[in-house]
Amino acid sequence: MSEALFNNPTPFEVDLQAAFAGRAKATGAQAAAFERFAKLGFPNRRIEGWKWSDFHGALRKLTPANDAEAQGDIAPSEFAALNPLEFRIINGQIELPQGELPDGLRYGVVEPVATIPELERHAIVNLNIAMTGKALGIEVGENTPDRPILIRHINTNAAFAFTQTMMRVSANARARLIETYEGEGSGFYSHLFHMVVRDGAQFHRTVVHQTGADQIVNAVCAAKIDADAAFNQTSLSTGSRLSRHETIVHLWAQGGSAEINSAALLCDDRHADFTTHVVHKAPHCRTRQIHKGVARDRARNVFQGKFEVEREAQKTDAKMTANALLLSDTAEANHKPELEIYADDVECAHGSTCGALDADALFYLRQRGLNEAAARALLVEAFLGEVLDGVDDERLGDIFRNKIADWLVYE
Amino acid sequence: MLKIENLHTTVGGHEILKGLSLDVPAGEVHAIMGPNGSGKSTLSYTVAGRDGYAASEGAVMLEGTNILGLAPDVRAAKGLFLSFQHPMEIPGVQTMTFIRTALNAQRRARGEAEVSAADFIRLIREKAKLVGLDDAKLKRPFNVGFSGGEKKRMEMLQLAIFEPRFAIMDETDSGLDIDALKMVGDVVNALRGPERGFLIITHYQRLLHYIKPDRVHVLAGGRIVKSGAAGLAAELEKSGYEQFIEAA
Repeated sequence: MSEALFNNPTPFEVDLQAAFAGRAKATGAQAAAFERFAKLGFPNRRIEGWKWSDFHGALRKLTPANDAEAQGDIAPSEFAALNPLEFRIINGQIELPQGELPDGLRYGVVEPVATIPELERHAIVNLNIAMTGKALGIEVGENTPDRPILIRHINTNAAFAFTQTMMRVSANARARLIETYEGEGSGFYSHLFHMVVRDGAQFHRTVVHQTGADQIVNAVCAAKIDADAAFNQTSLSTGSRLSRHETIVHLWAQGGSAEINSAALLCDDRHADFTTHVVHKAPHCRTRQIHKGVARDRARNVFQGKFEVEREAQKTDAKMTANALLLSDTAEANHKPELEIYADDVECAHGSTCGALDADALFYLRQRGLNEAAARALLVEAFLGEVLDGVDDERLGDIFRNKIADWLVYE
Repeated sequence: MLKIENLHTTVGGHEILKGLSLDVPAGEVHAIMGPNGSGKSTLSYTVAGRDGYAASEGAVMLEGTNILGLAPDVRAAKGLFLSFQHPMEIPGVQTMTFIRTALNAQRRARGEAEVSAADFIRLIREKAKLVGLDDAKLKRPFNVGFSGGEKKRMEMLQLAIFEPRFAIMDETDSGLDIDALKMVGDVVNALRGPERGFLIITHYQRLLHYIKPDRVHVLAGGRIVKSGAAGLAAELEKSGYEQFIEAA
């Protein structure tokens, strides 16, 4: 590798280059990925798709944390009540669950794989491929008991961490995955997740981003959905200094469906970016997407949703809604809904709204006896209702409702 | 009971109420009639405490306390109820949950015990029957997709459940058929009593066939310009408001 990979590198890029050079067994593919990253650099505001989430600006100023500090005890997950199979990725180190394997489930630490063509020009994905040593691999067989899988991404004191997960849900299997992003660290975390949902399988993914205020996170999930398979995802984020959760879904064969719901509850200077790209590649597939963002103080909520319907994907049925609720004059919502349609017999729609709390509704509630805080909380909860309705597990729904209630206490 | 003295309200730079005075003693039902734009809704909003409808002068005494300056929820807890001309839809909030939350918020503010879930379900079922709303509606999001008449029934349901000390009914009759008018009359008449007062704001006389008022006032140009016994309503229906618009 040449010394001058970067053109005018930032201090953080210098650190990354040293870390990459110090790696024991980088493959040729990883070296190539690092070179691609160095050429692209962290995405900045001038790059379409990143103009509201400036990783270049945020990571230039990253102060590497002291990684000598001891790792404290990890508190039990609030999802423990669901009796999940718990994986932990602590500052980039994978910890597998102990004990007996449930029937039909296989997991382990595996070699990472190359990414999908769509992500080959994604700078952070390239960096992730270059830096990730081992990946977490999970395979769910057809007769695996319906027990949730929990992956906790916990970042405390690392300046940066890179991980990958690969998951396969076998034909006709059912799988439920909960991913939490946690920890008070102030570093950069990149997670790359490749998954496939085989014919007739059903996959539910729940993502909860609730890190400390200073974390910078980019999590990218690319999912391939086979015939008559279902991908159902609900995300809840309270944001952090810069957080971007990307979901790429390819509906590869007839009868596939995707439901992608997300909610952001943001205060102070927190930032949450939900960027999604759903590609309909086959006929008779269905997508439903709802995003709800609530922001106050100087928080910023970004939603970029794109449906792409290829020529063969006739009878596509796809609908996207994004609504923003701004609770202060200085909060921001940036929405970019996009449809790109090459088939002629499809039903596709998108809608986007942005507004403040309805003064008429607020007065009505207060005339009925609710004080201002209670009335505002009720309206915010009502605003998020559609996303909560998409959570089909009652216990999970209750956890979501409690989280929203906790957030509203400070509203 | 409710005593309004020399009330002035300016909305968006225009003075709408210009020294309105009115006294509704406990146990009485008064009607306010008036042409469009006379200030009827401004009066109800000012008394209930809506943002942007602050009085610039005067007083609104509810059982001896000036309630101007109090938050709307504090006025509600003191027993003031406003039946809205255009009730709100609140998507995402189940009707029963909302009404129970509101009832218990009022009770807490008054230092009374909250109503349990079981007691509340009994109460709301009984009152829903009274106002002609079926149980299925109570499980739906509040007022979402309801017809104008159903929304007014929902207002009457809350009136029957909250049992306020003083209720203002802002054009409750608008958009109602004969059956619904009769229902409104039944609910109000059942609640009439020596400790409670009503102010019925209306454009037409027809609701007053079902609720016989003790006094009728004519509001025009932001003031009460004439007051009289129940017969005044019929007189207005015949002669119209024009004489008062000119007088104001």
